[in-house]
Amino acid sequence: MLKLSTCALAILVIALLPVPGSVAQEPTAKQDKAGTVRSDPSNSPLISTEWLEKTLDAGKLRVVEVSVEPGVFERGHIPGAQNIVWHTDLVETVSRDIAGPDKFAALVRRLGIDRDTTVVLYGDNNNWFAAWGAWVFAQYGLVENVKLLDGGRKKWEAEKRPLDTRAPEVAASNFSAATPSPALRARFSDVLAVARKERDEQILDIRSPDEFSGKIIAPAGVQELAIRAGHIPGSVNVPWAKAVNPDGTLKPVAELKALYAAAGIDGSKPIITSCRIGERSSHSWFVLSRVLGYPARNYDGSWTEYGNAVGVPVVNLAGTVWGGK
Amino acid sequence: MTDRVAGDGAPLPHAWAPATPAWRTATQHWGLPLVIALGLAGTAWWLSGQPGGARLAPSLTFGALFGFVLQRSRFCFYCQWRDLLVDGDPRGLLGILAALAAGLAGYAIVLGAWMPDPSGARLPPDAHIGPVGPVLVLAGAVFGAGMAVSGSCISAHLYRLGEGAPIAPFALLGTAMGFVLGFATWNPLYLASVSEAPVIWLPRHLGYAGSLVLGLAVLAALAWPLLKRLPRPGPLEPRGANDPLRAVFAGRWPVWLGGIAVGAIGTFAYLRTGPLGVTAEIGGRARQAAGAAGLLPARLEGLDAFRGCATALRDAVLTPNGVFVAGLVLASFAAALAAGQFRPARPRLTHAARGLLGGVLLGWGAMTGLGCSVGTLLSGIMAGALSGWVFGIAMFAGAACTLWLGRRAGLLA
Repeated sequence: MLKLSTCALAILVIALLPVPGSVAQEPTAKQDKAGTVRSDPSNSPLISTEWLEKTLDAGKLRVVEVSVEPGVFERGHIPGAQNIVWHTDLVETVSRDIAGPDKFAALVRRLGIDRDTTVVLYGDNNNWFAAWGAWVFAQYGLVENVKLLDGGRKKWEAEKRPLDTRAPEVAASNFSAATPSPALRARFSDVLAVARKERDEQILDIRSPDEFSGKIIAPAGVQELAIRAGHIPGSVNVPWAKAVNPDGTLKPVAELKALYAAAGIDGSKPIITSCRIGERSSHSWFVLSRVLGYPARNYDGSWTEYGNAVGVPVVNLAGTVWGGK
Repeated sequence: MTDRVAGDGAPLPHAWAPATPAWRTATQHWGLPLVIALGLAGTAWWLSGQPGGARLAPSLTFGALFGFVLQRSRFCFYCQWRDLLVDGDPRGLLGILAALAAGLAGYAIVLGAWMPDPSGARLPPDAHIGPVGPVLVLAGAVFGAGMAVSGSCISAHLYRLGEGAPIAPFALLGTAMGFVLGFATWNPLYLASVSEAPVIWLPRHLGYAGSLVLGLAVLAALAWPLLKRLPRPGPLEPRGANDPLRAVFAGRWPVWLGGIAVGAIGTFAYLRTGPLGVTAEIGGRARQAAGAAGLLPARLEGLDAFRGCATALRDAVLTPNGVFVAGLVLASFAAALAAGQFRPARPRLTHAARGLLGGVLLGWGAMTGLGCSVGTLLSGIMAGALSGWVFGIAMFAGAACTLWLGRRAGLLA
């Protein structure tokens, strides 16, 4: 029922829209000649800003902002959008873990999201934390109906689309959450098995080349939270931002495929994405898993777990000793 | 430092005197202020197209408006307090209460839209709601002592910089030094006390209506005895009082009017950019310089997680608080010029000594109190933070004690 109505709505919108040479309104994600990702809500994991603005009033649609900087949402958000504060809402605040079933279910009920609600996540910083939110949602079974706004906040603002400061009132849903699925999350033991070549999987490390090589432990201005520098043996390095156009949108599918294929990742083997604390790598997880359809898991322990572990193999190309030479 | 509230006493620029060649005097008195005002507007327009301009441009605009209002209404916490204590004139303090009342109402409107339900575990974004404990009391008292010694609080030194006050540069330099001293003493204070101090946001416990009613009731209770001490109105209207241009740009504003404007600017600034505060830039730059000079502890425990005038290290040349403060000083300069109140004087040794010593106390208090009379007191009380009230009480008490002691010792006027 929902699919039929959203399809019909999408077709209507597509029919009515002017097509300014872009491919943003094509119907499906995977058969596009140019290989560009698109914005049909039922088929694509990405929503275009244009489609969203025209569809804001649709019934079973919830727009949710997940930004890093506090106060950004309150001072102006996409009309009707709700807010998730990533560092308290989506995590346990005492132990290091994603939000447990009770906490997650309470959040999703408050947002008025059911299993058949189309959820559009967006945020600042090229959707970093929006993608991380999508990864958390996915572990609780909210996968196909959770989309990212292509280009995020940056593109919405750059296109001078309207913002609102009022908090919307939505009716709570009856969502209930079971234990999160382990299929999308890699654990330390999984990564160690790959590092020791006991398992044939690929690790994609999306940190900067200097972090990957071990020249530095953390990006500039970020606390060094690992005791060792370097990367997990067998991992390859494709910085997350390479998947993004200057306007914040994701690159076309063909380009994304070529980008990762150059590093030996083509979807033929299971992939584990990893970074420093597992948030930036969710962005690459979203690209691989949801946009390209590759089998991918995110390792949220990332370097702050692996680089602190005792007795595990490490590759340190830069030859750093502790934090220096 | 404490020129009397002068609704009737401000000297008039020649532009208002009759029988002078109007265009020439007008150019002399209005030319430079007009150039500064246009320059500020042009800079805001230019900033709005730069990266980060969505915050920088309104920050500069609010800073300029704030500086203009402070200068026009002589919105100076210490001067108004001293007027009451020494001269028995309550009008200035009533103006401060007016600012708090207007801001409380304004914030309630904004917060009610942003966080319809204040009862959860969350605080409104970047509102200045700080930890309440002995360190806050000490910070407020020391800040108050610094006001009495240097003759003003930090925001008033900034607007007086624009008036050419000889003590202001020393006080601001001392403030930066006081910040460094604050950073150096922060870790033991944090571990001994601040880390345990509760962060109390009144709307969480009372709701917005309850918090607003309580806040306004307290302000009314404070205003009641002051209203009974109002001086008799003068027998004559000041010359030209019916000329609106003159009233706005040349005569002193009554402080209550400035207070209401401050409350409105505080609300608008919170809605668009962030709570009013004047020390984030001074503190951040002081922290940067002291860090480079190796004068800071390697880590300031818990500091950057607190609400208030954040002193986190800056990597940009232009920051919202930086352009806010620049706008404040420049607008105050323009306003003082237009009103004939720009009176630079050669600094004397006592200016330097009082400025530096008072400034160090101001800086230490503003660092450990996570803000000053603007950031912690005004923006805190407006947001419903208990920390704002506590800092305010300690600050006025510290200033009163220091003034009393200083007058007894013959050191303060």
